[in-house]
Amino acid sequence: MLQHGALLERLLAGAFICRVSDEDAFRHVSDEQSQHDINHYLRPLNRRLVSNDDKSVYYLAYHELNKTAREHLSNQFSQTVQSLLPLLEWLQLVQETLGRDSAITAGDTIKLQEFVLRTEDNQSLRQRLNQLAADRFFNSQSDALDNQVKLIFRRLKEHGYLLQPHHDRQYYIVTGKIDYLIDVIRFIRDEEHLPVDDTPTQQALL
Amino acid sequence: MAPADAAAKTATASNLFNIGAERLVLLGKHHQALMQGYLDGFIDETVFSDVALKKLMGARILWRPDEQQPLALRPLVSELIASMVADENRRQINADVAEKLEQIRNRVQAYRDAQYQGDYSVAELQLQRLTEHVHDLSGQFEEAIDSLWHRLNSDFGFVSSLDDKIRENERAQKQLRRLLDGLDLLDFNELIELAEGNSHLRKLLVSQLQSQLSSHHSSLLEVQKRLLELLAKFRQQQSRSMLINNMAAFLRQHPKYQPADYPNRSELPLLFNQAAPIVPQAAIALDKASERQLLAELVRAIPKATSLPLPDQQSADFAIALQDEAIAARQQALKLDVENFYLRVIDSTSSLSALEYLAEQQLNWDSEIWLYQIIAEHQGLPADEKQMFALLRDEAPASSMNQLLLIRDISLQLQTA
Repeated sequence: MLQHGALLERLLAGAFICRVSDEDAFRHVSDEQSQHDINHYLRPLNRRLVSNDDKSVYYLAYHELNKTAREHLSNQFSQTVQSLLPLLEWLQLVQETLGRDSAITAGDTIKLQEFVLRTEDNQSLRQRLNQLAADRFFNSQSDALDNQVKLIFRRLKEHGYLLQPHHDRQYYIVTGKIDYLIDVIRFIRDEEHLPVDDTPTQQALL
Repeated sequence: MAPADAAAKTATASNLFNIGAERLVLLGKHHQALMQGYLDGFIDETVFSDVALKKLMGARILWRPDEQQPLALRPLVSELIASMVADENRRQINADVAEKLEQIRNRVQAYRDAQYQGDYSVAELQLQRLTEHVHDLSGQFEEAIDSLWHRLNSDFGFVSSLDDKIRENERAQKQLRRLLDGLDLLDFNELIELAEGNSHLRKLLVSQLQSQLSSHHSSLLEVQKRLLELLAKFRQQQSRSMLINNMAAFLRQHPKYQPADYPNRSELPLLFNQAAPIVPQAAIALDKASERQLLAELVRAIPKATSLPLPDQQSADFAIALQDEAIAARQQALKLDVENFYLRVIDSTSSLSALEYLAEQQLNWDSEIWLYQIIAEHQGLPADEKQMFALLRDEAPASSMNQLLLIRDISLQLQTA
């Protein structure tokens, strides 16, 4: 277990392990024998290792759902639901601001300065960013674009959606937790039969 | 007959050579204007002289597709440039195998006929043409495969939108299917039959062509696999973008939307089972003698506490202690002054007024406190000493209605026993 010490600590602390956040650790958690070892260790702590459907991101779940676990999960779920719209809007904003042809995915790099520069000169982007920064999820009190962007990115880093490879350099890499977010959205959509389409119509294809 | 024929042939060949070389020079001479024409899709006629334009049209490099249209590069020239610069937007893929196969059959027949007639120079020529056709056929696949790989490796980066990429990918897959169908047209049994009894033909049509085409075939299958993977990726990206946009739109339209209470379902979806963080903590343990050395070093490494004045450390306790000290000091001073007063009384023989003493000594005690302290001191004396001092209170009623007696002054006198 010693070899997984650091990995276990990160998992226990609530980290999501993906190929981007830590390739080495990801290889470990993807290995069946390691999974078995880790789960054996986690059993007394009422935790187990789980992944999303694509197995692109791993995290810890409760083994048994007792009352405290349920309470925690309820809390967490309502936070997740509250964070959906701000996160989705951020995804849209990044895609549009950086002029990408598709939504950002795990492994994409975002340069903070580029983002700021492009937003600065565009009134509509500037306004949307303003609104987004003021959202409860980001909760920025500042009017300065630079501070707002920095805060947004820092919050996303804290939540594990972004990785900052160098502490003093302002560029971020999107982690596999974004896949988890998409899975959550897709799940809610499917379960609740929301009128939210994700298959392009034949018209769009032609 | 034969020499004249050969001479005529040489003449035709040299004529061809001259015209071809001349026209290739034309391409080089106007390379910039022609390349601009390739990029723009039409030719800017003003940069050419009339003579040059005529020459270029005569050389079948330029043409006018329609009376109303500007001059443009002929499709074959465009195609040549596209292939040379690997411009995937314009590169053509020729999947027509049947025509090439037909030509090969014909050439084999002509070659065999010439051989049968003993006309070896013709046979030689036919064999050379045949070789070219075989190479063309193989080269056609090579070019197509190169183009497909090129597009694949650039992730179809030559078009900008995801929709375009998906369309380009599908177009590439159609081309690929045509190429594979073309390969299926090649029947090696037929080629073996064609080559029968001739080692040249055998080498050309069977061993060489066969090995080349089978390698093309496996390349094409690999490209096909990769194209499908890439298409799946594109589709995934596309569906993700749509999901994000549509879900965001939905949530904006329904700000009060609340999904079901999944965490409290008996069958909890795995997605929402995300355990609370545990942060393992550890502290120094002293039970291992072997680690004492290390611990001692750690302790030594702790930076020494410096006695810097810390202004913001004035806690409530500290302030109260300070106050107490100030009061205690004042009280001590008062006590001392009162004791001096008592000593004065002992020295003097007559009665002494407390307030007069206060004024005389210019002590700035409040008179009430002063009197109170003198009484308190008197009370505090041991019983025998108390009797040595005669304490006389100068008192009067508070008012005519109030019988409360107020002490105005105190006189103290040493009583002789």
